[in-house]
Amino acid sequence: MYNFIRGPLVWVAFLVFIFGTAYQVYRFYKLSRPKERYRLRIPFGKPPKDPDEAPDEPTLTWWQQMRLSVVGVNPVMVSVTTLFHLALVITPFFVLGHNVLLDLAWQISLPSLPEALADGLTIVVIAGGVFFLLRRIFLARVRAISTVYDYLVLLIATTPFITGFLAYHHFFDYDTVILLHILAGEIMLMAVPFTKLVHMPYFFINRFVLVHENTLGAGGSRTWR
Amino acid sequence: MSSNDQAPINQDEVRRILDQHKDKTKTALRVCAHCSLCADSCFLYHVHDKDPRYMPSHKFINSLGKLYKKKGKIDRAGFQEIEEIVWRRCVLCTRCYCPLGIDIPEMIAIARDICRSQEVFFQWSELEQPAE
Repeated sequence: MYNFIRGPLVWVAFLVFIFGTAYQVYRFYKLSRPKERYRLRIPFGKPPKDPDEAPDEPTLTWWQQMRLSVVGVNPVMVSVTTLFHLALVITPFFVLGHNVLLDLAWQISLPSLPEALADGLTIVVIAGGVFFLLRRIFLARVRAISTVYDYLVLLIATTPFITGFLAYHHFFDYDTVILLHILAGEIMLMAVPFTKLVHMPYFFINRFVLVHENTLGAGGSRTWR
Repeated sequence: MSSNDQAPINQDEVRRILDQHKDKTKTALRVCAHCSLCADSCFLYHVHDKDPRYMPSHKFINSLGKLYKKKGKIDRAGFQEIEEIVWRRCVLCTRCYCPLGIDIPEMIAIARDICRSQEVFFQWSELEQPAE
C-alpha cells in the first residue's frame, strides 16, 4: 500500500490531472466558437471608424471602475480568494521538501522558498479554507446553493496543505501523516478535471479566452454563443 | 399561471431539448464553484433585499440544473416553480457576472425553451394591474 501510494499512484495522478485538464480545455473549444467581427452599419451621418480600432473613451476613472467591479463590491472575498489561490498554486512548486525529492530522483529542482515562508503560505491556504468554510455556513446566499459536495471539494483542496503542515512540524506519527499527505495530493490532482476544481482551467479561459468586458490580455477570441 | 395547466408533461420532448444542450449544461454545472460572486451583479437581487433566490447561480441551478439532474422528470407543479424562476426572477438582461465565465443567461434561456415546449410561460395578460 505504502509503495503503491508513493510509486505508481503518483504517476497515475499526474497523468489524470494533465490529460483530464487538457480534455476539459478541448471540450471548451468544442462547445464555444470564435468571435465574430461585427460591423455596424450606420444609415446616415459620418461613417464611423472601424469599431475594432476606435479607442474606448472611458467616462470613469480607473478608481471609479474598480469600485464598481467585483473588487470594489466584494473586497474581502476577492482579497482572500486571490491570496488563497496564489498560495495554493505556488507553494507546492517551491517548498523545500518537494525539491529535495525531485533532486534525489532526477537531479533537477526548482528554487526553494525559505522554510518559514513556505510554512506561512501553507497557513494562508488553511486560513483561506477556514474562511470559505465559515462563509459557506454563515452567508445566506452561499448557503442557498451549497451542498455536501461543496464541503467535500473544499476538503479535497485543503487536506494536502493541512497534512503538509502537520508533517513539516512532525505533529502526530510522521510516517502516517506523510503518507496521508501524498495521498491527499494525488486525490486533489485527480479531482481537478472531474469536480468543481475544474474552475482552475476555467478561470484562465474566462479571463483570457472568452470575450467580455472583464477580459484581460488581448481581449479574448471566443464566445459561448 | 400559464395556459394548458392540466396537460401531462411530454417528457420525451423535455429530454430532447435537454440532450441538445447536454454538454454545455453539464459543463456549466460543473464549473460553477458555488462562490456566490454573481449575486451582486443582479439588479433584481438588490431590489429584493438580497434574497438569495434572486442570485443568478441560484436561478440557473434551480431551473435548468434541476431539469438536468432529474432528467426532465418534473411534474407540472415543478414546471410552475421553474416558470417563476426563469421569467419572474430573471429578465434576461444578460448583465450577470461570473468569475469563471459561465454563460448564465444562456442557461436561463434554455430553461425557458423547455418550459415553452410544455406550454409553460409567463403571461403578461394575467399580470395584476396596479390599483387606480
